[in-house]
Amino acid sequence: VISMVPLGAYIAVSAALFFIGLTGVLVRRNAVVILMCVELMLNAGNLALIAFSRRYGAPDERGSVFVMFVLVIAAAEVAVGLAIVLALYRNRPTVDVDEVRAMHG
Amino acid sequence: VTYDLVEPVVFAVLSIAIFAAGAAVVLVDRVTAAALFMALTFLAMAGMFVLLGAETVAAFQVLIYVGAITVLILYGVMFTPQAPRPYALFFQRQTPLAAVFVIFLAIPVLLAAFGFRSDRPVVRGGDLPPLGRSLFLEFAFPFEVASVLLVAAMIGAIVLVRREEDERR
Repeated sequence: VISMVPLGAYIAVSAALFFIGLTGVLVRRNAVVILMCVELMLNAGNLALIAFSRRYGAPDERGSVFVMFVLVIAAAEVAVGLAIVLALYRNRPTVDVDEVRAMHG
Repeated sequence: VTYDLVEPVVFAVLSIAIFAAGAAVVLVDRVTAAALFMALTFLAMAGMFVLLGAETVAAFQVLIYVGAITVLILYGVMFTPQAPRPYALFFQRQTPLAAVFVIFLAIPVLLAAFGFRSDRPVVRGGDLPPLGRSLFLEFAFPFEVASVLLVAAMIGAIVLVRREEDERR
């Protein structure tokens, strides 16, 4: 079956969402929002992997396999990231990354 | 109405949902609303996966991203209450520098992505059998390593947030 949507459109959506997420990571102060934006970037990468895998992939679905590993990494990352944010919040009641200066040296 | 129009229209709706909800995550003031917009982005992304013919990945996307990760982040929001703050304190101090950096990085990549010429993707369903075969035969060892990583991350998260009673005497 030939799709009506070209592969470049999926890649463009993926790149745009990646840069939306990157902007959020670099611009926002709230550590929890920064974690959310990292998840958006990972998800944009997933879309590119699936799109290329569907078009060029071998019949063994390697792109989807990599997406499975990205899912695992994302779950681990958000668990550890939130744990660090909660541990920080317990010491000082803030999630503002500009105010956390304990490791400035 | 021919069937040829259905797929581009669904694609356009899903892309608009992804862009709008993704921008809302970055721009919206309330953290809870940002988390729910993030869930909406993930849901639209699952629709993209269905459109590409990868239903299994779409199912895992809904289960893990829309389900588990969103709930985890909502718990994180719940445990870190913040007083309302002025909009001037919304963005980091280095925002202009970051904006310049992102724009310089984004322009070539977006031009390359939009100018990407290729054949149209072949949409076909039934990705579960090949996915399971390569995951459990060819990628069996990385799969086990990933599971060990997940267990280690969970134990690490528990250790990080545990209240240490014996240190507090």
